[in-house]
Amino acid sequence: MLEKLKSDFDTILELVKKAPADLQETAFRMILESWFLSNAPQTQKSQNSEAPPPLAPSTPDAVKPFLTANAVTTQVLGRVFQPVGPGAQLLASDLPGSGKAAKLVNLSLLLCVKQALETGSFNCTLKDLRQMAVHYDCYDSPNFSKTLKGNKSFYSPRDKGADLVLSGPGQKKAAELIKAISAGD
Amino acid sequence: MDVAQEMEDILEELAAVQKAINKLKTASVSGTQLRNRIRAVQRKWLPVCGNLEAGNLIDAGHLQEVSNAWSSILKLTKNASPKAQYRPLLKLIIAKTESELLNKYIKASAIQTIGDPLRKLVQPISDQDLLRYLDEAIRAAEANCIKASVVLAWCAVAFKIHQTLARLTMPVLTSEMKKMKEDKGLMFRGFTKEYAFNTEPDIQEAADAHLVLLCRFLAYLDDTQYKGLRNALDLRNGCGHPTGYEPDPVKLQAYFSDITQLVLLNPKFA
Repeated sequence: MLEKLKSDFDTILELVKKAPADLQETAFRMILESWFLSNAPQTQKSQNSEAPPPLAPSTPDAVKPFLTANAVTTQVLGRVFQPVGPGAQLLASDLPGSGKAAKLVNLSLLLCVKQALETGSFNCTLKDLRQMAVHYDCYDSPNFSKTLKGNKSFYSPRDKGADLVLSGPGQKKAAELIKAISAGD
Repeated sequence: MDVAQEMEDILEELAAVQKAINKLKTASVSGTQLRNRIRAVQRKWLPVCGNLEAGNLIDAGHLQEVSNAWSSILKLTKNASPKAQYRPLLKLIIAKTESELLNKYIKASAIQTIGDPLRKLVQPISDQDLLRYLDEAIRAAEANCIKASVVLAWCAVAFKIHQTLARLTMPVLTSEMKKMKEDKGLMFRGFTKEYAFNTEPDIQEAADAHLVLLCRFLAYLDDTQYKGLRNALDLRNGCGHPTGYEPDPVKLQAYFSDITQLVLLNPKFA
């Protein structure tokens, strides 16, 4: 494997140089991580060698630009959602944020990413958000609309009652949140 | 009509009315503007009430209680009535609408639509008998019997685990259990029970927790998967006895997602 890495290293560096200077370190880490994943020898931990490998999560293509642009690795994402693809479930037993409003906003961002893992689009219905907010005990009914309105920069412009769609800043905030949850903050 | 949205709007408006009444320096609510505002909110409430009545999703007693409070408040608005009479009524309407109507409505609507995501999760299972069995668990959930659904779905998981372990043959299974008992690793040192399997029904006598641990020992599950399946078993145990625990539809969906991913669709249990 070391020999193969030596031969591939120059190509990896060439790819890294194509990324903007401030993102080169992240790009290098992600490419290397991906190289190891695809080139690691198949180790058999099991005594039952006939058992097939575990299910591999497949991240939808539509989510990949979001992950790359925000330097979110599949491992990081996997600590917040499982599986990292269709059928994704939010793993957090509690949401970050002080107070119901902050938790609600964070929940909305995470649900949009969850939906993106499902269908490729970063959106979430208010119905789903309400149900999850009741589950996570951050549903403050008289202030539900007000809280979303107060954080409208995270969502694309919408009519009252329409689904939430993450804006650019919303995606950035969602990525920061995922990284913070993954790091255990 | 988005009933939840309408109720949120009513609650928002009522909170503002409550604040305005508290701010009044007079002993009674005499201003027509404020009284008209209350009447306007009551008019918004009527279609919501009709919708809730027709939907049959929430307790009729609570709905009646809120409706009665609205009728009383409407009577107060006909004259300059004392603030002290408004306060308890507004408090009751806000509290009951929030906890007994809106929150229950959201949970009940989730129950109404729970079948679709659950069916989508189990759809790839090819065993028709297992699918029919799981469909019964899903129908239990649709009938708001979440605990029954959790227990039934676990039976399908236990069946798959038993089936997989039985294929190892009884002597191998007994020997693997013995090896696991002798393993002094962090995860297995707590396991001290002796098992001797002679026939397949003996597997059913073993504790599910021990069989799940054996699946980890045999590397059918990795550490994270084992943890996930143990959580699912804990939920099943919490639902298998008459306790005060009430899992909600979100929890049920996560549970179904876990059991399908970890066992029902895991090729190691095929």
